[in-house]
Amino acid sequence: MQQEEKTLNPQESLRLIRETIDLAKRGVGENGFQFLWWGWLVVVACLAEYYMLVNGYGERAHLAWMVMPLIGAPGSLIYEWRRDQKQQEKNIVRELYGYLWLGFGISLVLTLVISVLRQIPPVPMVLVLAGFATFMSGILIRFRPLVFGGLTLWAGAALCLFVAVREHSLVEAGAVVLGYLLPGYWLNHKARKHHV
Amino acid sequence: MFKELDPLLLSQLRLAIMSYLMVAREADFNLLKEQTEATAGNLSAQISKLQEAGYIEVEKTYRNNYPLTICRITEKGVEAFDAFYKDLKSYFE
Repeated sequence: MQQEEKTLNPQESLRLIRETIDLAKRGVGENGFQFLWWGWLVVVACLAEYYMLVNGYGERAHLAWMVMPLIGAPGSLIYEWRRDQKQQEKNIVRELYGYLWLGFGISLVLTLVISVLRQIPPVPMVLVLAGFATFMSGILIRFRPLVFGGLTLWAGAALCLFVAVREHSLVEAGAVVLGYLLPGYWLNHKARKHHV
Repeated sequence: MFKELDPLLLSQLRLAIMSYLMVAREADFNLLKEQTEATAGNLSAQISKLQEAGYIEVEKTYRNNYPLTICRITEKGVEAFDAFYKDLKSYFE
């Protein structure tokens, strides 16, 4: 049987390529979970650190940051592993997205270790890194609130220049709520609508 | 002078399959059918043509005891798509 073969003109071809690539990019399956999970963990860690600093437990304040990834990383990995089991098709955008956040994780660990050993306030550097990863995520999955989220995190890093080190964790909590949690909830809402 | 476009990619369905696979790298038959909204017969025929040209490779396997056909873009396919896209853009410059 002769199968239908509709031939396209150059304009139609270009439009079809753009539409199909957009469709495939949506397959990244980002549903905001990681932003909500890490966003809340960071906010809790920031507030715990601030509480300890103002209530005379300053020398133990860094514990908040040591406990946070011990809870965060396993939760995050289990979630991704379960999702991979369900969705087996490869996707170059999803791969790049994964590597971007893996790179962020490695940079974050190094930054925290260096800042603790050298006694440098970690928050501005952490916000610069988080801003970069969030900004690039927004570009990759074409979700503008995340791009603005990245800008907000960068603004938070700059704001740290003008406030006392003790207040840095409050700046970070605020920047994470606006730059991470807000786009995260937005993305989650959008994903639920599209059943991602 | 406009370059002649690869006739294999001027077909609507074949171009849709290749565009999708450029991003997804691989996809099973049902996903491609869903994304391109093609009939199974037509999709199968166009996949065969792309496979004959060496643009995609087709793997027949099983998932949870059900037959599964996975289409994967090849290096030659990526090059052909890149060249097609470049030639196509020259029409609008």
